[in-house]
Amino acid sequence: MSELFLNIVDIYHYAAIALFTIGLWKVLEKCGAKGWWALLPGGRYFKLGDVVECDNAGIVVLFLEICYCLLWIAGEFVPHESMSTGIIGLAVIVVVLIQFAFMFRIYTGVCFTFGKSWRWMFLWVPFNWIAALIFGFNPKFQPVNLGIRLNEDLKAGTDPATIGTIRNYMSHIQDGGLTVMLKERTVRDFNKKRYLLKDIYFTIPNNSLVLLLGGSGSGKTTLVNAITGYEKANAEIYLNGQNVYEQYELMKYKIGFVPQQDLLRYNDTVLNTLNDAAKLRLPTSMKRKDRTDAIDEVLDTLGLVSGKSGLVSKKSGGMKKRISIGTELICRPELFILDEPDSGLDGVIARELFETLQKIAHTGRIVIAITHTPDRVINMFDKVIVLARDSGRVGRLAFYGRPDEAKEFFGKDSMENIIMAINRKDEGGEGRADEFIAKYAEYVNEHSGNEEKEELPDEQC
Amino acid sequence: MNNVKHYRGRIAQTGIYLGKLFRMFIYQNDWKMLPMAAVIAGAVTFAVGNNIFKTQEGTLSGCFALVCVCIWNGFFNSIQVVCRERAIVKREHRAGMHITSYIGAHMIYQMLLCLMQTGILMFICSIANMSFPKEGIITNNFYIDFTLSLFLITYAADMASLAISCYVKNTTAAMTLMPFMLIFQLIFSGGLIYLEGAAKKLTGFTIARWGLAALCTLANYNSQPMVSLWNEIWKFRSMTIEGQQPIKIFTDTIIQEGRLNDFLLESGSYNQDPAYLYDKANLLQSWKYMIIMAVIFAVIAVLLLKRVDKDKR
Repeated sequence: MSELFLNIVDIYHYAAIALFTIGLWKVLEKCGAKGWWALLPGGRYFKLGDVVECDNAGIVVLFLEICYCLLWIAGEFVPHESMSTGIIGLAVIVVVLIQFAFMFRIYTGVCFTFGKSWRWMFLWVPFNWIAALIFGFNPKFQPVNLGIRLNEDLKAGTDPATIGTIRNYMSHIQDGGLTVMLKERTVRDFNKKRYLLKDIYFTIPNNSLVLLLGGSGSGKTTLVNAITGYEKANAEIYLNGQNVYEQYELMKYKIGFVPQQDLLRYNDTVLNTLNDAAKLRLPTSMKRKDRTDAIDEVLDTLGLVSGKSGLVSKKSGGMKKRISIGTELICRPELFILDEPDSGLDGVIARELFETLQKIAHTGRIVIAITHTPDRVINMFDKVIVLARDSGRVGRLAFYGRPDEAKEFFGKDSMENIIMAINRKDEGGEGRADEFIAKYAEYVNEHSGNEEKEELPDEQC
Repeated sequence: MNNVKHYRGRIAQTGIYLGKLFRMFIYQNDWKMLPMAAVIAGAVTFAVGNNIFKTQEGTLSGCFALVCVCIWNGFFNSIQVVCRERAIVKREHRAGMHITSYIGAHMIYQMLLCLMQTGILMFICSIANMSFPKEGIITNNFYIDFTLSLFLITYAADMASLAISCYVKNTTAAMTLMPFMLIFQLIFSGGLIYLEGAAKKLTGFTIARWGLAALCTLANYNSQPMVSLWNEIWKFRSMTIEGQQPIKIFTDTIIQEGRLNDFLLESGSYNQDPAYLYDKANLLQSWKYMIIMAVIFAVIAVLLLKRVDKDKR
């Protein structure tokens, strides 16, 4: 009886594998991959992970499959009931559990790619062969999210010649302000090069308050990290004529960055917080009195004088934000970047904050701010940088110029509508990022031509 | 003209962070660690304080309990200190902070905290009327040697948890990992649970093993009487064989002849452990390994925290 049961289990097991292979063949074909990958144990998950954008998971499953085979072979050579057998058995359990977790991730990716609910996981996990047959053979099941996966070859309408013009146009100003010449910012996921940002060129003069605008995932923080040198890109960044990457040890003291969250030790006083920041970031040559003056100046500029002896934890959200700004401002940075400084602040306090930032910017500095509610303070900004994610999911420059020029360029009456125009359709936007990236390339091309013509007589002189 | 600016180096930065940590001690209620240590010490001495330093069994279980207290204190001191402010560390590191200074400040601060906790533990043990031996091995003063041993156990555990705190990304992960570390230390201390083979070799990598060795060495474990054998024999007093009660006769004879102490000491001599040999070199070896572990954990902490820049949002 038990033998018969075992036979039934075996038959089911092999039949399930065969049916899963057939179903997966069709799934892979629907996703634009070769169906024969389904025949390869391990390889099938590698390819499936690749087409549903879970390529890391696919590689891990492939690797674990190899480990499993090696363990199985090792198990054949060690004596039974020995300690080694126990260790191998334990390793097999660990491998299987990890493999299960990553296969779970791949199946989630399949559901997403086919635009189906995650509840399909309840079928994929216990009966992957049934799910594979349904997803593979049912004509109603078609991949709907394949179009948004990364395609390195997909250009956003900008041809190399135009890019070259932008580079030439933007890169000739290096002595004053901030010059960004970012060719690409990539990450390597296992064996794949993934572009995060590409072809971003602009120059910001000193005394500027600049808005960095872009939808979620457009690469704002990545760009900021590249500019500051925290995460280096294939780029040349010049701040007042000095190369940020080459002279990073010096330049890191000239760049202030206020992240979105308040990075403060709440159980310390405001004055001590600023004092410690001053000691750490100001040069040792600075006298104690000058340092105290610098702290007083920051307290005064940010309106923190009255509560300077109190604990940071007792301060309001707006005050905490000011203290965060103060810890960066204390080293008198030439470039000052703020990531959503107004998040969690009401309109009045946010406006006061941006007025303060405007004052700071107009003391010969460059202040770049990221905000998701730009319209209430847009009149304070001198320039706006618009980043957009193209159809290849790469962050690109969609516009750089004055806010009024931006509105005219995009044909919109507010910054939020500009974001709406460049956001993807599945994010509730108009999905016109590629169009504006290409348009901006042409826009720069035209302006570059005009500028060259204008500059020519001077050069001849 | 040389316009290169110099910024504060590692030693100056260590001073800045040390000042910050001492302020935190007051403002952040870190001082609460001290009464908590007293409560734990009180509970343990109440439970095991009567027989410690009197018999081998009492000494082993009492020293093991003290090791547990020290490791518990050490782990709790710094398991969250780095991971709870990891984002701040990342930002400050990018702005010029030296990781070695940051960890150095923590090492000094934790050293003082561990000293205070050890002092409290010794004080509680003293007022609990533990019968401490008089003579030490290294300094000829038992109290100093014993306090130093307790301190080293606490500090090595503290550094181990500091390394964990530098590895994990948040406090939840740290607190999840901590019990596993604690259990590993206690099981592989080699004290209460008999281990052999590969498992015994693992004991060499635990703070608990060397801590227990240091305390038992100082307590002169090997020269103490063993009572468990007598207690086991006593349980069989009423056993009758062919109308006789040989075990009752044996125990009564021992007691009547006043040879009980000799019997217990003789039993103890067969239960000696070379790891607890009452010897200066043996104690110094235990101290040495605990210091080495503390240093290794501190180095690991620095190396792990240097990766903080790679943290994603």
